[in-house]
Amino acid sequence: MAETKRVIVKVKRQAAPKEPSRWEEFSLNWRPSMNVIICLRDIAENPVTRDGKKTTPITYDSNCLEEICGSCAMLINGKARMACSALVDQLDQPIRIEPLTKFPLVRDLAVDRQFMFESLKRVKAWIPIDGTYHLGEGPRVSPEVQEKGYPLSNCITCGNCLEVCPQVNEHNQFVGAAIISQVRLFNMHPTGAMNKSERLQALMGPGGVQECANAQNCVHACPKGIPLTESIAEVNRDAWKQALLGWLLG
Amino acid sequence: MSATASQPDASYLLRKLHSFTGVLPVGAFLAEHFWSNSAALVNAAKYDEVSRDLQTIPFRPLVEWGVIFLPMLFHAVYGVYIWVRGKSNVSAYPWVGNWLYVAQRYTGLIAFAYIGWHLYTERWLTHGHSTYATVETDLRNPWYLTFFVVGILASSFHLGVGIWNFLCKWGLAATAKAQQAAGRLGVVIGVAFSVVGILIVLSFRLNWHPFSSYYLPK
Amino acid sequence: MRQPKIIVVGGGLAGLMATIRAAESGIPVELFSIVPVKRSHSVCAQGGINAAKNQKGEGDTTDKHFDDTIYGGDFLANQPLVKRMCEAAPGIIDLLDRMGVMFNRTPEGLLDYRRFGGTLYHRTAFAGATTGQQLLYALDEQVRRHEAEGRVKKFEGWTFLSAVIDGGGVGRGVCAMDLRTMELKTFPADAAIFATGGIGAIFGRSTNSVVCTGSAQSALFQQGVDYANGEFIQVHPTAIPGEDKLRLMSESARGEGGRVWVPRNPAEKRRPKDIPQSDRFYFLEEWYPKYGNLVPRDIATRAIHRIVYQEKLGVDGQAAVYLDVTEIPRETLNRKLEGILEIYEKFLGVDPREEPMKVFPGMHYTMGGIWVNGEDQATAVPGIYAAGECEYQYHGANRLGANSLVSCIFGGGLAGSAAVKFAKSLEKGAEAAPASVFEAERKRQEEKNRKLLTQDGSENPITIWRELGDLMTEHVTVTRVNKNLQAADAKILALQERYKKINLSDRTKWSNQTLNFALELENMLILARVITLGALARNESRGAHYKPEFPDRDDANWLKTTRAKWVNNDIQLTYEPVDISLIKPRARRYDAVK
Repeated sequence: MAETKRVIVKVKRQAAPKEPSRWEEFSLNWRPSMNVIICLRDIAENPVTRDGKKTTPITYDSNCLEEICGSCAMLINGKARMACSALVDQLDQPIRIEPLTKFPLVRDLAVDRQFMFESLKRVKAWIPIDGTYHLGEGPRVSPEVQEKGYPLSNCITCGNCLEVCPQVNEHNQFVGAAIISQVRLFNMHPTGAMNKSERLQALMGPGGVQECANAQNCVHACPKGIPLTESIAEVNRDAWKQALLGWLLG
Repeated sequence: MSATASQPDASYLLRKLHSFTGVLPVGAFLAEHFWSNSAALVNAAKYDEVSRDLQTIPFRPLVEWGVIFLPMLFHAVYGVYIWVRGKSNVSAYPWVGNWLYVAQRYTGLIAFAYIGWHLYTERWLTHGHSTYATVETDLRNPWYLTFFVVGILASSFHLGVGIWNFLCKWGLAATAKAQQAAGRLGVVIGVAFSVVGILIVLSFRLNWHPFSSYYLPK
Repeated sequence: MRQPKIIVVGGGLAGLMATIRAAESGIPVELFSIVPVKRSHSVCAQGGINAAKNQKGEGDTTDKHFDDTIYGGDFLANQPLVKRMCEAAPGIIDLLDRMGVMFNRTPEGLLDYRRFGGTLYHRTAFAGATTGQQLLYALDEQVRRHEAEGRVKKFEGWTFLSAVIDGGGVGRGVCAMDLRTMELKTFPADAAIFATGGIGAIFGRSTNSVVCTGSAQSALFQQGVDYANGEFIQVHPTAIPGEDKLRLMSESARGEGGRVWVPRNPAEKRRPKDIPQSDRFYFLEEWYPKYGNLVPRDIATRAIHRIVYQEKLGVDGQAAVYLDVTEIPRETLNRKLEGILEIYEKFLGVDPREEPMKVFPGMHYTMGGIWVNGEDQATAVPGIYAAGECEYQYHGANRLGANSLVSCIFGGGLAGSAAVKFAKSLEKGAEAAPASVFEAERKRQEEKNRKLLTQDGSENPITIWRELGDLMTEHVTVTRVNKNLQAADAKILALQERYKKINLSDRTKWSNQTLNFALELENMLILARVITLGALARNESRGAHYKPEFPDRDDANWLKTTRAKWVNNDIQLTYEPVDISLIKPRARRYDAVK
């Protein structure tokens, strides 16, 4: 009998937030440039475990499949990363797939990352324009500022930086590197800078920038290569300066 | 945002104070302490002179409590609070920074235990009049010796990493390059303190005084 | 005074712009999206957004943008609204600039512009190679602000199932399902705006995101919201083939100087770098000297198909050609194209700065979509509006690169304003519609779900979907032959029969993605037929629609809009004239001066 190359995948399953979790193992047909999403799709088409038991397709979040929407973050062989860019050929088998652990579980690999969007609200991560009617061009921005700001604006809110941060956990409402970096972005923009103090103020509250303990895991885990530790340092500096000068000078 | 929220949160201030006290005064005191104790490298007489000078400073209790004991106690207690609110994951993500994060917590604890014991034996039991002879006697005990070495290494490491953390977390080293440089500075400081600390221990233990020729009696 | 309420379905560029417009006018908006809106498919747009700002002193004007768009679309678009869009485009850029989009800049701090397909001007503003992402985020941030200030309520993780239409044929709200609890609910609204994006999933693999199934459009179509020009499907010339999706390699790669070629010798064994210029066939540059590598997408796509299938010159005998950016200075590549080159590197493990990329055309965009009037994005059903890729208005028979972002924002804004006006003009709003109308719609959807969750059968929805995708890609994309289209339609009908016997492998009532996919699949099958039948009927070649049996454009018989209607549970094609009041149709040729 001709042996076709197999891919062995172990998935941590959990039917609902309060249900117990369990592992299921699958054996799939290998194909070139196969990624973890293709594995999950194969399982969905034929949801049978390696030992022949029928099961349900795996619930997971995905959308763009080109690492720009931020949906498919999960733990793959214990590491937080995007499933779409996790190529099977570059992974040790059996490939272990688990949900992110720092966010409330929905089902199987799907988690609820609403905390990040709420944090963006809290730090007012926007440029407060007067309206969408015609008000002329925006402020001029030097290429230097653009080249600093653009990488920051590439953040896809995937949550990997929170997942790997030892300071983000159930005891601690730390907003995480992504949000701090967004504050830096908006504070850098000429119009956004008008609300700089409000954003810094928000980051000097519970779970604010002070919670960073400089493990620097975030910058390693970021799939977009955002200089998160630089952002944290800059925001930290702006924050204490504001606190100190505000206290000294009013 | 409402006017009432215009002050930073208490957690922010305490956290910043924790970070700050690690350098000033705790780090600075550590530097001073290593410096004074280096007198042992000259000879016992020099050591006792330095020791006597320190024991006779004005406002001594105020300085000891206000600049040394209380800041150190706060730094340690709040450090433990930070520790328990973190959740280390170095087995999953064995990156250098993450190792340092974990090591910083353990070395902090060791350093605190050591300093507490050190204070008890060298400050408390001597009623504030430690001399070369008392230290030398203590170091004859191999357990004391081990604890001294471990304590010095842990404190030096904790200070080195602490300097790096401080420079990053206060945004004094913001760019990736500056943070690398800050890291190297931390290494230099950690190694320097370790070396000086161990030399001092050796000096007591072996009655070894490489700078004895510098000595000029008062 | 009564407080009107508006619902927006879809959180991509068009939906967010509509939301902002409505919220800004003080009307509360409920925004529905399958994914958190920040994860919408608009993030995938790479190259840029067009606006004739003439910032390179080339004499560009909005009229020229208008002409390029109409000409590029092979004269099938109704002209007046396209003209308005092109005139509004510079203002849209200003607005985005004010919202803080990190557009690339000139040394003077002004916006930089690049060249794109189908034009001779530097007209495309861009933010690196992730312009769509940057634009979507800017709008997302504005919506978040409105949300924080209480004007917008988001329903993320909800899927739209159907509109609620009362006995008088007026849209009164929507029926939607919470994808977590699987709860069905109806939501009344005085006007509903649909901005539900693309339909890529109908073609199996495409450059679209997973949520781009066209299910919402199809559901509306089956409720009397007509669908226009469905047969016009854009196949992007340069995509990176993949099993899960075709990843786009933006036109900006060519806009910045990337060149398309194949070895002249099909048995070529040398590495691409070692092949001398004389042995390379730059077929786009040879065939279309004026536009070169920047011919419109339909032209480039067919040229690549010709090279591969007729000339048999595909790289290594495969369905692929080289897209070569290795001649462009590394610094330029990293500054202007980094995002897209990274995609190639990440998913194929080859550095495109060193080695030419292997690309092939892939389904990318639907020019066709929900029929809207030529005024204000209103559909055939009062109270229902549509904007963005899901409607048909702006791109005729072929969309020019970097025109989609501008059409989404223009159309979205227009729909937002129009819906507000409509909602305010109603004497009695949705609250006056009888509760039974809402109840009946919810019951109808609940019954569908109940059936799917309980029926036993032999068919697998994913298998049916794969077959549909293969069928549509083979017969209803680049080259269309009538007998194949007929066969394709027959096969879709057979798939519909098989669909009736599907068996769900997940019957739970919590976050059941299998159930949702099955619901979408039913709608995809119907929309697939609309596309196929439209293509079968249209016996000419125009823009992206190419029939070798009818190789020329036929204005005498086919200068008209296909308008599909749902009559007696079946598709009926009707036609209406195209508004060509502003530019007289002329032959569309990119190999000669136009």
